Amino acid sequence: MSLPRSTTDVLVVGGGPAGLAAAAQAAAAGLMVTLVDERVTLGGQIYKRVGPGFAVEDPRAIGRDYAAGNHLIAAVDSPRIDVRLRTTALAIEGMTVILCADESHTVAVEAERIVLAPGAYDRPVAFPGWTLPGVLTAGGAQTLVKTQGVLPGERIVFAGSGPVALAFPAQLHHLGAGVVTVCEAGPPPGPSDVAAMLRAAAGNLSLLRDAIGYRAELLRARIPLRYGRIVVAAEGDGRIEAVVHAAVDREWRVIPGSEERVACDALCLGYGFLPSVELPRLAGCALDEDEDLGGAVVRLDEWMRTTVPNIHAAGDGTGVEGSLVAIDEGRLAALGVAMDLGALTREAAEERARPLRRRLRQRSAFRSALRRMHRVGPGIYELSTPDTMICRCEELTRARIDPAIAASTDPGVVKGLTRAGMGLCQGRNCERTIAALIARRHGLELASLPPTNPRLPARPVSLGAIADQEIEDHGFFTAAAEPRD
Amino acid sequence: MASSPLPPNPAIDMPTGHPDSSHVAPTAPAWLALTETSAALPTDTDVLVIGGGLIGCALTYYLARAGVEVTLLERGELNRAASGTNAGSFHLQIAIHQLTGLEVDSLADRLLTEIRLYVEGARLWEELETELQGSLEMHTTGGLMVAETDAELALLHAKQRIEADAGLETHVLEGAELRSFAPFLADDLKGATYCPAEGHANPLLAAPLYALRASQAGAAIRTNAAVHSIDIGTQGGFTVHTARGRVRAARIVNAAGGWTNEVAAMIGQHHPVRRDGLHVNVTEPRERLLTPLVQHIGRRLTLKQASNNTFIIGGGWPSRAHGADGGYRTVWESTAGNVGVAVRVVPALADVRLLRTWSGALAFTDDLEPLVGASRRVPGYFTCMATTGFTLGPLMARMLAETLAHPAARSPLPDHFAPDRTASAAPAHP
Repeated sequence: MSLPRSTTDVLVVGGGPAGLAAAAQAAAAGLMVTLVDERVTLGGQIYKRVGPGFAVEDPRAIGRDYAAGNHLIAAVDSPRIDVRLRTTALAIEGMTVILCADESHTVAVEAERIVLAPGAYDRPVAFPGWTLPGVLTAGGAQTLVKTQGVLPGERIVFAGSGPVALAFPAQLHHLGAGVVTVCEAGPPPGPSDVAAMLRAAAGNLSLLRDAIGYRAELLRARIPLRYGRIVVAAEGDGRIEAVVHAAVDREWRVIPGSEERVACDALCLGYGFLPSVELPRLAGCALDEDEDLGGAVVRLDEWMRTTVPNIHAAGDGTGVEGSLVAIDEGRLAALGVAMDLGALTREAAEERARPLRRRLRQRSAFRSALRRMHRVGPGIYELSTPDTMICRCEELTRARIDPAIAASTDPGVVKGLTRAGMGLCQGRNCERTIAALIARRHGLELASLPPTNPRLPARPVSLGAIADQEIEDHGFFTAAAEPRD
Repeated sequence: MASSPLPPNPAIDMPTGHPDSSHVAPTAPAWLALTETSAALPTDTDVLVIGGGLIGCALTYYLARAGVEVTLLERGELNRAASGTNAGSFHLQIAIHQLTGLEVDSLADRLLTEIRLYVEGARLWEELETELQGSLEMHTTGGLMVAETDAELALLHAKQRIEADAGLETHVLEGAELRSFAPFLADDLKGATYCPAEGHANPLLAAPLYALRASQAGAAIRTNAAVHSIDIGTQGGFTVHTARGRVRAARIVNAAGGWTNEVAAMIGQHHPVRRDGLHVNVTEPRERLLTPLVQHIGRRLTLKQASNNTFIIGGGWPSRAHGADGGYRTVWESTAGNVGVAVRVVPALADVRLLRTWSGALAFTDDLEPLVGASRRVPGYFTCMATTGFTLGPLMARMLAETLAHPAARSPLPDHFAPDRTASAAPAHP
């Protein structure tokens, strides 16, 4: 192959909290690191920098996250770390990762160890009207706010669940946006939840303080905070004009007759995140199922090793637990890498890992304490009607997909018969919804359905950027009898 | 089809836009329901078809329509191997793997027979949407086969003469004529043959639609019914043991495609069949750039812009065997290499984005001839598979169905398709 190649000790894919922390920790252990990210700036989604052409005049005004991001980003400014932005991982073959740089050409990096830190994306939820202009994911809305200073609307409804469901509307309000209603799918915190949170408060005081602060901010602003309700429809002629929300039971299934309509010009949805497992799947890493962590999650050992030798993974891309966990996981992965490569003794690695593990246990305890309130209910996947768009890329409504779901329990078959999931997003927006429809139709557990096959490339890429005239055409029938490596 | 040699470069109707399947309703298609494919196996059947790919489903349809009692068993889901994962092209022009260097004339006799068969196969496809009453996204777009070098151009002329003899209309286009006919091709290509009868269909739809119509005609189609072993009865007939129980069959047809020999081994047979992984690429949709299929006489390339305006790029680049179940995974080298040829031939593709690659098994015989007909060694045992099975599969299935439905009549199948033939000394290679 004529691809330009380079080698490195550790290739870190993803420049968010986990990847930044992993790169800095590996470099601190004396390893040479290549850190790649597809975006124009480091920081990932949470510590997203302002866009090109924008300047930050008062860092404090744009929040603590910005400062935390600066700190992590400063730590990868090291002669041992080769940071490559606008660089997208397309494929992993053995210990070689094919990267597309500047959307124009491909290079190969061969690494002793790979740390995958691909991050997460908003859990897509299909309901009537969800494709109307003005309906945004929380992540999308945050990108607008963080990189461009643009508010998504003047009368915003926020619907979602989990810590983001409070944090983001509070931030929006703080920035001057009009938030008309906040719907949290989970129940309000009861005495047992408060007790559980207090029991798990050790090491999590800042999280607890944030949660209380966000809630207080909403209360002060007299923004209605509606617990146990989800958005069941978005309405409007050409763009969103109103939202219908309804009460749900513990499974997030709608209680008939509880619908309310509220006028708005933007709807932000924050029903948690799904890990971007495309690269781990292409690499062949074993996955497990955990809906609360985003569905397909990467199986890891105590050093964040995946089931594929020499490939580690960390952060929300392995199971969504937030940026603080991601940072510690990134460090832990790097310590494991350094130990495996002999850059750290086992004792030194264990010693450095101990406080990280303690903190991760505390976070885990806190998450368990919140579980009753923020557990994702299956009802979230049951809001579509026959006319609801399920696969936006291929423009397929549920009525088009239902006959295929009647034909098979295999998501791959449904994909083949309908093309759902074959478009630009490659199923990121519809695959889980369709799997849930299959599970419901045939009375199966969502977790029991096989994932569709991983496909190259991990991201769309122009043919001109990857075309290689020098690859020898080995022929086909002639080579058939010979084993190929 | 003209039956005599054509004048060198007659004026050709330029394909414009994309022909539509006018008789196809745009409603959501129905598929064979799981309640049917997961129903209990019949205890007895006349013909048992093993393998739910295009050929197995087509054969089951033609048999059921002819009133033959037929059961199809598929080890997994229908249409999941070669039948559903090929690029969906109808290849009628002589392809590179059929040529030995430049010695086209020495192969002329065999190629003549073969081309006539392909023309017949294409004719069946032309009528298939009407026959099956559903969209297969079938388009007769015409096809170009390009030459990059003078030697390749000479080859185009040589093959055009044979094709003309066989009654396949092709034209060699060069220079300004080619530029104006196919402005999307790279300026420096030496020439191309154009075959108006070539085209493409959606491989994801054909076998499932055959299966639905077969079931409606009375066939039993069962999935997730892997065959584990086959007993040959002393009084004739077979007992087939599957993952879902036992079926007795008077006759069995091995339609397992790339897995033909796994089934054949259950009755002590072996056929000159192999399989390999096939790499295919698909891009995002773009404004229509080209209508005809594009192939290359000297390099591995098939390229088309499908009904939904995506570009499908294949041509026989390999993928890698993966796991124990006979699956294949695409590899980067094939992605970059295959795309490299595509961009070389159609430069405007450079800024179109690749969305996905996929891989399927491709089954082929050592001599590249179909393997269709009755076994002489095991009475009641038949095979049905074809190299380049997408183009030829339905025709092979229909021909075998005639033989099975009318055992007393003379079979339309030529002897050199016979499953127990010994493989010819060496397959033709470029």
